[in-house]
Amino acid sequence: MSSVLIKNEARLGLKLVAPAVGIIGLLVIYPILFNVYLSFFDVQLNGTKIFVGFDNYSELLGNPRYYNSIGISVVYLLGTVTGTTVLGLAAAILMNQEFHFRNLARGLILLPYFAPVISVVFGWQFIFDPVNGIYNHVMVDVLHLSDTRENMIGDPDSALFVVILFDIWKHFPIAYLLLLAKLQSVPKDLYEAAAIDGQNAWGRFWHVTLPELKFVIATVVLLRIIWNLNRFEDVFLLAPNVETLPIFTYYQAFSGVVDQGGAAAISVIQLLVLVGLIWLYVRKVLKW
Amino acid sequence: MSSVILRNVCKSYGNLPIVKSLNLEVKDGEFVVLVGPSGCGKSTTLRMVAGLEDITQGDVHIGDQVVNDLPPHKRNIAMVFQNYALYPHMSVRENIVFGLKKSGADATTIASKLADVSEMLKLNEYLDRKPADLSGGQRQRVAMGRALARDADVYLFDEPLSNLDAKLRHHMRTEIARIQHQYNMTAIYVTHDQVEAMTLGDRVVVMRDGIVEQVGTPMEIYLQPSSTFVATFIGSPAMNLIEAQVEDGELVFSGYRIPISKIANTSEADLQVYRKVLVGIRPDFFEDSQLTSPSDHLFEFGSVKVDLVENLGFDKEITFKFGQEEAKARLDLRSHIVREQVISLSVDLNRVLLFDTSSQGMLLNAGSL
Amino acid sequence: MMNKRTPIQSVVLYTLVIALVIFCVFPFLQILSTSLKHPIDWGNPSLWPRVLHLEAYKELLGLMPTKEVEIPETIQRLLNNPALSEEKKQALLAKFSSGGEVFSFGRYMLNTFTISFVTGVFSTLLASLAAYAIARLRFPAQSLMANGVLFVYMVGGVLLMVPLYQMSVTVGLASSASGTILSLFLIYLIQTLPVAMYMLGNYFRTIPFSLEEAAMMDGCSRVEAFWRIIMPLSKPMLFTVFIYCFVIAWNEYLFASVFLKQYQDFHTLPLALQTLFTSKNAIWDRIMAASMLTLLPVIICFMLANRHLSGGLTDGGVKG
Repeated sequence: MSSVLIKNEARLGLKLVAPAVGIIGLLVIYPILFNVYLSFFDVQLNGTKIFVGFDNYSELLGNPRYYNSIGISVVYLLGTVTGTTVLGLAAAILMNQEFHFRNLARGLILLPYFAPVISVVFGWQFIFDPVNGIYNHVMVDVLHLSDTRENMIGDPDSALFVVILFDIWKHFPIAYLLLLAKLQSVPKDLYEAAAIDGQNAWGRFWHVTLPELKFVIATVVLLRIIWNLNRFEDVFLLAPNVETLPIFTYYQAFSGVVDQGGAAAISVIQLLVLVGLIWLYVRKVLKW
Repeated sequence: MSSVILRNVCKSYGNLPIVKSLNLEVKDGEFVVLVGPSGCGKSTTLRMVAGLEDITQGDVHIGDQVVNDLPPHKRNIAMVFQNYALYPHMSVRENIVFGLKKSGADATTIASKLADVSEMLKLNEYLDRKPADLSGGQRQRVAMGRALARDADVYLFDEPLSNLDAKLRHHMRTEIARIQHQYNMTAIYVTHDQVEAMTLGDRVVVMRDGIVEQVGTPMEIYLQPSSTFVATFIGSPAMNLIEAQVEDGELVFSGYRIPISKIANTSEADLQVYRKVLVGIRPDFFEDSQLTSPSDHLFEFGSVKVDLVENLGFDKEITFKFGQEEAKARLDLRSHIVREQVISLSVDLNRVLLFDTSSQGMLLNAGSL
Repeated sequence: MMNKRTPIQSVVLYTLVIALVIFCVFPFLQILSTSLKHPIDWGNPSLWPRVLHLEAYKELLGLMPTKEVEIPETIQRLLNNPALSEEKKQALLAKFSSGGEVFSFGRYMLNTFTISFVTGVFSTLLASLAAYAIARLRFPAQSLMANGVLFVYMVGGVLLMVPLYQMSVTVGLASSASGTILSLFLIYLIQTLPVAMYMLGNYFRTIPFSLEEAAMMDGCSRVEAFWRIIMPLSKPMLFTVFIYCFVIAWNEYLFASVFLKQYQDFHTLPLALQTLFTSKNAIWDRIMAASMLTLLPVIICFMLANRHLSGGLTDGGVKG
């Protein structure tokens, strides 16, 4: 049994992964466990900890703000996931056609995805600015849909919709990229066969495109849910008054009456949901 | 140059055996071809020699060293890959000298080797191109050049010509034969193409299902195949195998009776224990009776009805039947034959082979070289 | 599919494409436009500035004549006190002026660039080692690690916010500026490592195995084959991954805000911009100009890496 070569290879493999896995273990895996531990303590910013058992959890479950932010998160997820998927699909189909300047258009629509949140956020704030913004100009002065200029971002209810729109704008490109990649791999003869069978454009979309895309669409939806469950910056920087779960956690941990133990408890619950979703992703999506 | 010895070499993935106790000795300066259908273990065997696969059991010797535990780069081997495996980011020149440089050769050696190799393979004008800018045939030559530039103990070829079109393949086959002769290299060449095996090898190893079926010179393999597998795998069209009854010192099939005593190296007594045998006749060994003069060792199949004639230019392939079994003969342009015609075919009984119906092995030492 | 479009179909197609492109690009145009407008022009809905107003850029890039910082008399008296060491005077002066009008954009840009660059380099390097091993070598726990990477890369930063902060407090890193920056660097490393590993792993899998085998036949050990063949060959992809990591770090706000809050000199651009936005009156031109300047490197990176980026992202499934 010659296993020297195999052993050498294994040793090299372990050596190469060691730094990355070490760092990830120390700074991701350990913190996840440490987070569970912290959720049973009253934790101060300076590191002082007092054991409180399940108090953080019972406090959290009795806190109406928590349920409120779950509700906001659900609306946010529904809006953004649907929006990005639908717009991503539409963009993918559009960009799969042949037309002049297609490469330019393909490049331009990726811009929102790569732009730093911090810099585009101000552009959006300006657009919805009650005094100078184009939104109010169009609504009030051009279309006369409203009599008064409204502070869309100042009011948490309308701000939620601005935040959703912003997320769709910023993140539909990734859905678009995934869908376009799949769309380009749909064999042409499928369309030709459908055309010969007398299907019109809509029929071809319904009977050829969608069935081919359904797994990728499911992937996109699941991935969007997973990422958006944790989305912080896009919401916080545009409209800090929209209290989705991550924003709520942030306020608990770092502002006002600091309650890091409470924040840890929120994270633990959220992590459980996330692990469930990731499990779904790994078991279902990656198997497709 | 060095010899290569494989002793009881086995390879299995988990419980799946790929190579089963293989023994082979490749002498210094010898060109050995491993041939067999895909999945027969020939590539795996080659890769075990290279060190790219570990050896489950047994020993591989290169020169006087057991190399089982030696990593590939310490075995001083050069290899030509099926997909060429040229370094895409390097020019042809860099590809060729990479191994030389790595081995610490000095600048003059490198320059002269490069000149040699690019002269021989006609690569001079491509030296500064990247592999992506070359045609398939040119890439193949670079891959050859990269191996030849090295001063390796053993040269390995893993189906190097299988990605080329027929014409180029023929051309490169001739080139390889010439180069091997010139360099007197110890080489192991894997292919599934029997023509390459026949034309290139000093010796040919026919493999099936991880087992060596036969080792021999190309002519031994062709004329004295050890089994029906080897007999049908080598040679095109494949050897005709017809089941015959052994009766009264004669082989009887489809109304023909061949006297056993006339078959080379075979006597009636040899076949006493058999009631049935397989008679093997290569299509090449049929002759048009009109073109032969009768002789004692010729047997004539008197009335053969031609089902199909395929004209290949000089050759023509005739399809006909022995009873229910389809058979083929290869004649040449001297015979004017059309479909449905009834002709007479002769065969030299010295070329007729007999195989055991159950073991499929060759009976006795029939056939002569 | 290949058949000709009718004129109406063409009109519809181009209208939709143009609408989509405008939707994507409009906020950028808005930023650019506002950054070039004079304050009296802000209410003008047209994107075209009535007068070109470059003051904001000049100010941010330090092209304005430096304003004499007016030091109040009390402070001046303190500074004139001979009992105070020169060092302390400088510190006092610096503290005073940094709290003043001056928004040291260049400094923030340098901070951000430095940490993003270092993150990109380390992440790409470590990820390429690990991704190569996971994609190419057989070793125990290999598939566990491959799946682990996937898992880790889906756990968002928000969930790790509290424990990571507490860890850095416990270890004592949070109490000094250098420790804080180290913590932040490590955090950026883990935010980028899994993505980088994922992208590179998928990329390495597309390289034919026989290239390494050829290198080994040419006398390279496995490690040499990796360094001398695989890495040089992967340069375009390594660059893409580097850019991707660079941009993640460049854009990061959450951890920067948690860790750097008290070290204003080390603020990164996102943090500085947010501070600028919340602390001052709405000085739109400066904010927009700062946004534009923050955006610029990203757009440049994007243009450099675009060719490989789209493929790399979809192959990797990738964060978004």
